[in-house]
Amino acid sequence: MEHISEKPLDLVGLLAAAHHPQAGALVLFSGEVRDSNLGQPVAYLEYEAHPSMATKMVAEILAEARQKWALNLAVAQHRTGTVAVGESAVVVITASPHRREAYAANRYIIDRLKHEAPIWKCEYFTDGTKKWGGNCNCHETTGNANEHVYEFEQER
Amino acid sequence: MKEHFEPNLELAENVQTVTELKAQLMRQNEAARGLLQLCRFAVDDAFVDGDYPLKPTDTVAVIPPSSGG
Repeated sequence: MEHISEKPLDLVGLLAAAHHPQAGALVLFSGEVRDSNLGQPVAYLEYEAHPSMATKMVAEILAEARQKWALNLAVAQHRTGTVAVGESAVVVITASPHRREAYAANRYIIDRLKHEAPIWKCEYFTDGTKKWGGNCNCHETTGNANEHVYEFEQER
Repeated sequence: MKEHFEPNLELAENVQTVTELKAQLMRQNEAARGLLQLCRFAVDDAFVDGDYPLKPTDTVAVIPPSSGG
């Protein structure tokens, strides 16, 4: 499984390959490019990654999710390059015998991936301006670049 | 980060640790000081602490806060 992809993510193909005879639940999360951010119209996004390190970290996050929950399947892919509005920038698929585990693991994987994997977003706005970064500002709260505030820990 | 430095930078100066490397990069580009404070550093695809001893041939990746997803 390729975790970092320069090509458009094949959500349908990934879903088709994810069915598992022991899984009663499959959750597919697709992180998609929105046409605005904080009120500013977005033209498209561009992602860059440290490919070898991002690949290794995504694999580790998936392995840790498999340790925490009984999963039949856990996959994740993130795009690099230009991603248009309405396209998928990241996909996470989890499958488990019952839905609770698949939902919880899916959320854990996407949260950790967003905060930790060396992948960076540049937003290009319709007015021609651009802005790097923007997702993980946890250091402002925690005072530590390695300490994050995860959604999966905030909500139950 | 790419707006402050070349993608690949070879240091002429001898730096012993990651903390020294960070200070050297800050001296080279004052405008990048704030961002460098937030960056993590990695050698051979693994994060390293400030006191990590650098060899002259090490390649260090400078990792700004993640913004994937």
